[in-house]
Amino acid sequence: MATAPYNYSYIFKYIIIGDMGVGKSCLLHQFTEKKFMADCPHTIGVEFGTRIIEVSGQKIKLQIWDTAGQERFRAVTRSYYRGAAGALMVYDITRRSTYNHLSSWLTDARNLTNPNTVIILIGNKADLDAQRDVTYEEAKQFAEENGLLFLEASAKTGENVEDAFLEAAKKIYQNIQDGSLDLNAAESGVQHKPSAPQGGRLTSEPQPQREGCGC
Amino acid sequence: MDQSVAIQETLMQGEYCVIAVQGVLCEGDSRQSRLLGLVRHRLEHGGQEHALFLYTHRRMAITGDDVTLDQIVPVSRDFTLEEVSSDGELYILGSDVTIQLDTVELSLTFQLPFGSHTRMFLQEVARACPGFDPATPDPEFQWLSGYQCLQREPDSRTLHGWNLARDTWPGYTTIGGGGSNFDNSRSNGKSLLGDQSSGGQDKAENSLTRQNKSKSEITDLVRSSTITVSDKAHILSMQKFGLRDTIVKSHLVQKEDDYTYIQNFRFFVGTYNVNGQSPKECLRPWLSHGIQAPDVYCVGFQELDLSKEAFFFHDTPKEEEWFKAVSESLHPDAKYAKVKLIRMVGIMLLLYVKQEHAAYISEVETETVGTGIMGRMGNKGGVAIRFQLHNTSICIVNSHLAAHTEEYERRNQDYKDICSRMQFCQVDPSLPALTISKHDVILWLGDLNYRIEDLDVEKVKKLVEEKDFQTLYAYDQLKIQVAAKTVFDGYTEGELTFQPTYKYDTGSDDWDTSEKCRAPAWCDRILWKGKNIIQLSYQSHMALKTSDHKPVSSEFDIGVKVINDELYRKTLEEIVRSLDKMENANIPSVSLSKREFCFQNVKYMQLQVDSFTIHNGQVPCQFEFINKPDEQSFCKQWLSANPSKGFLLPDSNAKIELELFVNKTTATKLNSGEDKIEDILVLHLDRGKDYFLSVTGNYLPSCFGSPIHTLCYMRQPIVDLPLETISELTLMPMQTEDDGSQLESPMEIPKELWMMVDYLYRNAIQQEDLFQQPGLRSEFEHIRDCLDTGMIDNLSASNHSVAEALLLFLESLPEPVICYRAYHSCLECTGNYTASKQVISTLPTFHKNVFNYLMAFLQELLKNSTKNHLDGNILASIFGSLLLRNPAGHEKLEMTDKKKAQEFIHQFLCNTL
Ligand SMILES: Nc1nc2c(ncn2[C@@H]2O[C@H](COP(=O)(O)OP(=O)(O)O)[C@@H](O)[C@H]2O)c(=O)[nH]1
Ligand SMILES: [Mg+2]
Repeated sequence: MATAPYNYSYIFKYIIIGDMGVGKSCLLHQFTEKKFMADCPHTIGVEFGTRIIEVSGQKIKLQIWDTAGQERFRAVTRSYYRGAAGALMVYDITRRSTYNHLSSWLTDARNLTNPNTVIILIGNKADLDAQRDVTYEEAKQFAEENGLLFLEASAKTGENVEDAFLEAAKKIYQNIQDGSLDLNAAESGVQHKPSAPQGGRLTSEPQPQREGCGC
Repeated sequence: MDQSVAIQETLMQGEYCVIAVQGVLCEGDSRQSRLLGLVRHRLEHGGQEHALFLYTHRRMAITGDDVTLDQIVPVSRDFTLEEVSSDGELYILGSDVTIQLDTVELSLTFQLPFGSHTRMFLQEVARACPGFDPATPDPEFQWLSGYQCLQREPDSRTLHGWNLARDTWPGYTTIGGGGSNFDNSRSNGKSLLGDQSSGGQDKAENSLTRQNKSKSEITDLVRSSTITVSDKAHILSMQKFGLRDTIVKSHLVQKEDDYTYIQNFRFFVGTYNVNGQSPKECLRPWLSHGIQAPDVYCVGFQELDLSKEAFFFHDTPKEEEWFKAVSESLHPDAKYAKVKLIRMVGIMLLLYVKQEHAAYISEVETETVGTGIMGRMGNKGGVAIRFQLHNTSICIVNSHLAAHTEEYERRNQDYKDICSRMQFCQVDPSLPALTISKHDVILWLGDLNYRIEDLDVEKVKKLVEEKDFQTLYAYDQLKIQVAAKTVFDGYTEGELTFQPTYKYDTGSDDWDTSEKCRAPAWCDRILWKGKNIIQLSYQSHMALKTSDHKPVSSEFDIGVKVINDELYRKTLEEIVRSLDKMENANIPSVSLSKREFCFQNVKYMQLQVDSFTIHNGQVPCQFEFINKPDEQSFCKQWLSANPSKGFLLPDSNAKIELELFVNKTTATKLNSGEDKIEDILVLHLDRGKDYFLSVTGNYLPSCFGSPIHTLCYMRQPIVDLPLETISELTLMPMQTEDDGSQLESPMEIPKELWMMVDYLYRNAIQQEDLFQQPGLRSEFEHIRDCLDTGMIDNLSASNHSVAEALLLFLESLPEPVICYRAYHSCLECTGNYTASKQVISTLPTFHKNVFNYLMAFLQELLKNSTKNHLDGNILASIFGSLLLRNPAGHEKLEMTDKKKAQEFIHQFLCNTL
């Protein structure tokens, strides 16, 4: 309760990537609207969602870019990776092919974002356990081998959806705190915002972080 | 979507883009997108200056390359940025924010997107304004001289851009600033003299200055120890300028019951007319005897100082004396913090709270209203302190109303004036001022000066002696006026169980023995209004003898709304969530009638058009096709979209046409398969989604755009060949001789060329104006199809159309008949026929064949010049530019080169080949 009132002090850019139909748009919708959108139209392009969350008492605005998964748009969607602080890489636990394609998505994510971009692997449709085609263990191992956060989630039930976005944010915030994420870098995907003055009572004026940006 | 990063890249060392927002600059009917960046410059000697940088930009700006500095507006003292709302219209949630930027030199209107980002931008700009403190030097903006802007139109607008002499800005500022101060204070309804509040008040000269000054005086300590306002108070206070915050706040108010509970606070309210005296005795009998320590003290005085000095000059030593006297007599069982002291001439109000409550006091504002001489002067009137205790808003008013028994109507009027003119500034300057009545709890004390009427003095004194206050009360003017609802409507007063507090001989409890011999009266009163208020006592204090009045006090238990942290957090979270949702709902979004476009059997120079409709949702938006990374244009060269950008009102449509047209520039690569009828267009909504449109289709290869040697190897019509063969032959390098590498032996010249020339030879040899009249488009398509299908027998077209097709064919050759590499040698040996023939002989066989074939044909034509009116010059000039093409492209073609090319060809027309 002792935190500054209603405004946020950071903006994190996220991208959601993965094959078509794995549930990227549903995850975004579940996160922003707390609803499952069963008849979600195909994303043919790039959509946005935002939500303000709190990490360690800091209000953070997540700006989430949901991209089209079709292979033929791949060349175009790559241009949206730039400047992402976090990437949610999604596969469908009931379709092995979507899991098999992960290495290609991961290559893109690694090549097109900065080294500090936090990547979280999400095995979606966890509610369809009966049709499971990818075990938790093997995905977990894949994540570990590649240094990714990992969760199984369900955009339908909402299970772990909140956590997926929050875990990534925590990790990013931690990177900021311990200095490994350089906010000065133009592509850090993080913006620090001075929080607004409060009723004329603020004694010390918070200074924006990107001071003297050397670019 | 924040674009300050791109702006940052354009700035110099030491300059910093605090925040950027993308907006629409509105000038008349024109709407242009601009990036607005607030740029800060730190001065060497400390301090900082700001300027607004306005950029034109490409789509969503990602890097410095995407933006171009257009204009700089220094944030000088005359700079104002205000939100304007269209008159009379209801505020529409989610609509764009229109802001007006004014300085002495210019006035610009922008539309900024709805949402918290815009709010934050406005907030930052407000903070950047230098304020009016004359102690700080005028900003000089020397650092701006390093920036070059695009020049605006050189008319009256020259002043706008950064091309002014430096001293243009600050020159006006003091005048402008000072003037508006004066106007403001007048419009607040105060003359300079009447506005005699005590020193602590910083009047709102201007909403911007307000924000720069700290208003908090709450930390003044009365008794020992240090105490500061904890962060907790921030929760109660409001941020300025933030729409998001305003909305959150209004939701919080609506849902207040969900997260607050009522807790009683003990209030002590006292009023004392001290008749200009200094404190001579201890005030404890009035302020602390026989009561438990209250949580809040509200102590009011009247006639603090009756001297002329106090009236005309603001200072009086009495203020300090009485403040001290009160502070020393507060209840000894608790420590108190002074929240505020406000004084207007002799009317003073003090507010103290128990130290542990200080953290929960916020939004403290004071105001004064003079109703004295000329209806303005401060000898009569009221002072007030408003504040927030936990979540309850409280207003304390101390007033001294007009004197004299018969003047009760004047007193009523004074009350009304105080009510209407007492206006407290809000923390958020965009909100209307608060009036007294807008508070949850109002405590009104003072020397209200209402008398006992229609009873002679002796009768009054007798009733007092008998303690028959009930009877006496019936003659009390205040009671009568309240009952008639002419004053203090809605207020309550406790029962009067004490004798009138006026008028005594000073130093005694004796009624006034002076000449005037005033009748006793209950001048000094305490009233209240609001919920959850219980009066515990209401009494006078006879023990105090300093004045001709006796002080009055009252204790209250007031139920204050206190926040339950847990519930507050929950409610706040819900509200923030709902705002996030609203923000998401306000991202522009459209629906497209079609997003896949298939163009079947595209032919050379045959336009194909498809279209789709953009239907906008509920948010006005701007759309534009944007380039994909590393591409020069948003679509392939053979495609175009019209219009390629536009603006859409809610629920409106735009029809976009996609036009596909393959010409000589794009045909060859489509023939060879290096290019395909395949593209993805990105339709971008400003601040919103991107939509991908896919274009697919197939191209029917044509002889047009095919190289000469390729056509020579095509014995069959091009449409009959498999695509791979066409691709292979098109990509085949041009050789000088037939090297026999191909299975089939080549023809000497392309059969399509032969077909056209033969047709003309047979039908048009005597045609007037051949090559000079345009053909028909439909006939061209027919000719093309005949050539590509080899059905030359079907060819029936006008001579002019065939002649034009021949020219188009020559023009479409990727390598001209006289190869690019021979171009310069040809021009050089113009005039020397032998040398010219020598150059021709070095051309690759097929090119040489074509050249000779064409020259022979043209010579035939010239033989019939009496009929067809052609002469060597006409033909040489038409064919010169087709057969001889400058490898550097046509834009470099100079007149002399053109002439030489013509002469070169001319030689072959008038000599034997
Ligand atoms: N059972 C189940 N279905 C899901 C889940 N998430 C998405 N879907 C369905 O999967 C399909 C594709 O989802 P969508 O979000 O459009 O995938 P995208 O192409 O990755 O954006 C839709 O029919 C959804 O209803 C989930 O967690 N559980
Ligand atoms: Mg999708």
